Amino acid sequence: MQELALLMVSDCADAQEPEFARLVRQAKAGDAAAFEAILCQFERRVLLTAMRLLNGNLEDAKDAAQQVFLRLHRSLHQLDANRHFASWLYRITVNVCRDMVRMRARRPVVPLEEAGDCAMTGGTEDAMRRDEQMRLIYAALATLPERERAAIVLRDIEGMPTSEVARILGSSEVTVRSQISNGRVKIRKFIDRQQRRLP
Amino acid sequence: MSCHKFEPMIALYIEDDLAQAEAQAVESHLAACDACRKFALEMRESQAALKALRTEFVDDAVLLQVRMEVLSVAAHRPRIVAWPRYAIAAGLVIALLAGWLVRQQADKALVALQPLHAILPVPPARWAIQAHQPKALAARVRRRSKRQAPRFKSEPLVVKMITDDPQVVIYWLVDQNGG
Repeated sequence: MQELALLMVSDCADAQEPEFARLVRQAKAGDAAAFEAILCQFERRVLLTAMRLLNGNLEDAKDAAQQVFLRLHRSLHQLDANRHFASWLYRITVNVCRDMVRMRARRPVVPLEEAGDCAMTGGTEDAMRRDEQMRLIYAALATLPERERAAIVLRDIEGMPTSEVARILGSSEVTVRSQISNGRVKIRKFIDRQQRRLP
Repeated sequence: MSCHKFEPMIALYIEDDLAQAEAQAVESHLAACDACRKFALEMRESQAALKALRTEFVDDAVLLQVRMEVLSVAAHRPRIVAWPRYAIAAGLVIALLAGWLVRQQADKALVALQPLHAILPVPPARWAIQAHQPKALAARVRRRSKRQAPRFKSEPLVVKMITDDPQVVIYWLVDQNGG
């Protein structure tokens, strides 16, 4: 069901292409309302993707999302609404997050307690277990090299086909498949190690 | 193939990311290997946990905060329009073309001077260029003079000798082809 919902979201941009093209044209002409409408259409996806690439840190993800949309604003004049806009936006998101990670010289491994600070919901035992699992996944993602993490986030969490991930990351499909495969195995082994430590 | 080598393939197999032939090879191996079957099961669990991140939500207030910040910065930023870039590019092209045309004209003017070679023993273009023009241009003219040299040689050299008597002028025609 979740996958179906995601598929519908990703198809949404294609289905509304003429409407989106109109928004882009108006935004290019300086219409702030049109630019805001574009923001509304993509802000959730950009923010969540950034959060997944930045070890679940919401504050960093907010900064990244702002940078992405400001870059979009700066590049409006050269934007072609008919050519893979979503892919372009994801590529910018990946690049901005990569730059942020490098600039802040973060170590790839974050303590479990710090990972996924936004996903915490608290409350019932189920919710707490779910929170714990999310922390574990964020910690596992944080152990991956940049490219592998980006490939896993786009393929397994965003649910994109490998060809699309390759286009966004500017790599070949073979390379991306290898990154995805390595990433999945590493995540599995990380979870395995963590679970063995638990009493 | 060892079980260790099957791990990356199993990681792709569980999400249908393998080509048919590779998937069949993995299936055959899984049917015969308990350890890899267990690994595939665990991989499916970790993939399910990974996909649980899809259910994450972001509060609307957070989205609004990001949006307001972006709109506020964007409103104070001068809008970049495309035409000045095109205008600059067009200006550069015109300037280059103009430069090229001027150079062509200068070359033609130098070529026009070349009949003087027929009268003067040293081609004037050669020494004039060497004295006043940049080295590259002088070299180019020298090459051109060399290329066209046979044409000047075939023409007779005319030497005009003036005597004390204004009524007597001697013209000396020298055949440069050795005749």
